[in-house]
Amino acid sequence: MIILRIKRAVLIAAVVAAAAAVVHPVPAAAAPARTQDLRTIVIDPGHGGLETGAKGRFGNLEKDITLAVSLKLKALIEKDMDFEVVLTRDRDVDVSNENRSAIANNHKAGLFISIHANGAVQRKAAGSETFFLSLNATDEDTRRLAYLENNSTDLQTRIDPSSDNDLMMILWDMAQNAYIKQSSRLAELVQGELDAMLGTRNRGIKQAPFKVLTGVACPAILVETAFISNPDEEQKLASDEFQTKVAEAIYRGLSLFLRGRG
Amino acid sequence: MAKKRKGRISKQALVLSVLGLVLIVLVVIFFTGGGGEKVKRFVEANVPKAPGAPEAQAATRVVTLFFLSDDDLLHKETREIAAGPTMADEAERALAELIRGSEEGLSSPLPPATKVRQVFIAKDGLATVDLSREVVEGFSYGSTAELAAVYAVVDTLVSNFKPVKKVIILVEGAERETLGGHVDLTRPFLPDYSLVAR
Repeated sequence: MIILRIKRAVLIAAVVAAAAAVVHPVPAAAAPARTQDLRTIVIDPGHGGLETGAKGRFGNLEKDITLAVSLKLKALIEKDMDFEVVLTRDRDVDVSNENRSAIANNHKAGLFISIHANGAVQRKAAGSETFFLSLNATDEDTRRLAYLENNSTDLQTRIDPSSDNDLMMILWDMAQNAYIKQSSRLAELVQGELDAMLGTRNRGIKQAPFKVLTGVACPAILVETAFISNPDEEQKLASDEFQTKVAEAIYRGLSLFLRGRG
Repeated sequence: MAKKRKGRISKQALVLSVLGLVLIVLVVIFFTGGGGEKVKRFVEANVPKAPGAPEAQAATRVVTLFFLSDDDLLHKETREIAAGPTMADEAERALAELIRGSEEGLSSPLPPATKVRQVFIAKDGLATVDLSREVVEGFSYGSTAELAAVYAVVDTLVSNFKPVKKVIILVEGAERETLGGHVDLTRPFLPDYSLVAR
């Protein structure tokens, strides 16, 4: 594995050097096409199938709550906004993390929202929080690919997901790196609305190396709605009323984000 | 003739019984030896050491472990472990203590049945930790529990063993995508002390 990593690092160094030579002459001012490109929003109901996610004391499963909230959010967006909404699953099935990001990328998603319910060892843990990706900055290839940040709109067209070439895999792996700033902004706005609407403890926005976010080539967040491991919050999460509020809060945060972009 | 034979038999019996006795002694030493050491260490740990007692310093070292409290942050707790011979041995012991749990009533962020199969520390500062399958089976992880489990391991190794800069976690000797569907295990981790109480 170590050899593989070295190989990767060498490969990426070589390609970035080549890419820098080719890409550099193109002015970075080709960016404003961004807003018009946003046609599709992908909603990712966490877990599913055999992979139940966290379990509550009363037997509620994370996978069921994430699907319920996701379906409500989809309905809200489709009612009031002119976007196509794609779900990574619309029923109780297993979907690998890789396939979740592949679904987003194949649909040329403009935004990716993963919905989860939290679980902690301590039963008292409570509240809502919104994550965006943190990449482990030690990785040589991460740093070398920082240049993508200025060329993020090109990313989807430059990477062909059907290619299984080693380099393409790395680029997909790193895709989210280019969208960290926008992801952070989206997380902030969604978390603000969750805080305003849910009455749960505000745990803020955080960064974590979540697998499902790594390969997504657009701004992406992961919403931890509340703690299923906390008996009070588990009962809230299981209620239709609370699920609707969560969906509405995320919808509002999303609207604010889109307004800010336009 | 009969007498002679009898004598031979008793000689054989003598040799056998001596061998048997040696075996019993060895078995007793084998099963009690380690425990005895542990008891001694425990006693030593509770007796204030005279400054600069060279013997105790050579045999043990103190490590900082991370346990969960009600604020669901990781809290530091120090623990004495046997020293050496290699850093990897000490790292394995430190993680075993982390899993064994707090002596101050806090919760371990890892399932108690988890075993540390091996720790390997490479020259470039990458520590590879191989945990048994119980680490996956023992908890139904939510993001918060999963982050606590991963970073308790990572922070324990990086904060106690200077040459360790990053950590990769394996389960049953193989690379695994996540423990419970959230945190990416396929890349090495840097420490994250934001989950640690100040």
